[in-house]
Amino acid sequence: MGVEQNLRQQSSLKASQLAGSPGTPDLHSSSRCSSFEELTVPHLHAVYRLAVRLTGSAVTAEDLTQETYLKALQAFPSLREPSRVRAWLFQILSRLVTDRHRSGNHEVPIEELTDLERFSLYDRIAEEDPFPYSDRLHQDFLSQFEDDDVQRALQSVPEVYRTPLVLLYTEELSYRELADVLGCPVGTVMSRLYRGRKVLERALWDCAKRRGWVKEWKP
Amino acid sequence: MNLKCEEAVRQFFTYLDHSLAGEPLETLEEHLRECLDCCERLEFSRQLDGVVRARLEAGIVPAGVEDRLRKCLANLKGAQGG
Repeated sequence: MGVEQNLRQQSSLKASQLAGSPGTPDLHSSSRCSSFEELTVPHLHAVYRLAVRLTGSAVTAEDLTQETYLKALQAFPSLREPSRVRAWLFQILSRLVTDRHRSGNHEVPIEELTDLERFSLYDRIAEEDPFPYSDRLHQDFLSQFEDDDVQRALQSVPEVYRTPLVLLYTEELSYRELADVLGCPVGTVMSRLYRGRKVLERALWDCAKRRGWVKEWKP
Repeated sequence: MNLKCEEAVRQFFTYLDHSLAGEPLETLEEHLRECLDCCERLEFSRQLDGVVRARLEAGIVPAGVEDRLRKCLANLKGAQGG
């Protein structure tokens, strides 16, 4: 059954719940105040864009966006705070992405954390000095990267680190909001962001090697 | 309290994300006032963040995608009698 067909069926099943069944106490603030569509549609673009950033694939992102809205519809009665519907949709999406990576074994293996945390892109650039005549070596190095380079580097970051990073960069969420979306303590968010950025630095350095900007590259 | 450069660098991301506060923030800023090398490293981290943000920004939803997604959601609206 396609996601769209499934979504149609679910919407019929849930229509009475959304409207509030007669004789049943309405415990759900979200259904009392606003309809599912009124609350969630304004965030359609944001959910899709986040899905693209998390997966690197427009096709997968569209599928995941539909799945997110289907899950959201199913769980709508449990949404207690309509004001945080955006974070709630992101939470559903990030869990779907995590589930896909788990079942599809798409995790990217990373080196030992000690080595990773010791890696410094700043130091590597200074040591290799790829643009000897530049007055702004580090800035010139960064300006070489194109959209695809960054997107590809980001896709090489394991999903567990990529999701908080993308949410931080594209949605400007605070650590508290990230913890809320990801369902983990703020301390975990901090360590994931730190490691995620280190993996990203390393991936950008690998990109520079592939592109021949630095000598280290050995095909 | 004196901060070592290694400890200062480790706090840069939290600092750039405006999530450092209180004594740790004061200690880091005190270190930055005295350490030019750390200032340069911090500026690089800030620029790197800026590059990644800028490269991720370009993202409009293609019309075909939006139409299909909205069609799905329209079915929900119909089911709710809206």
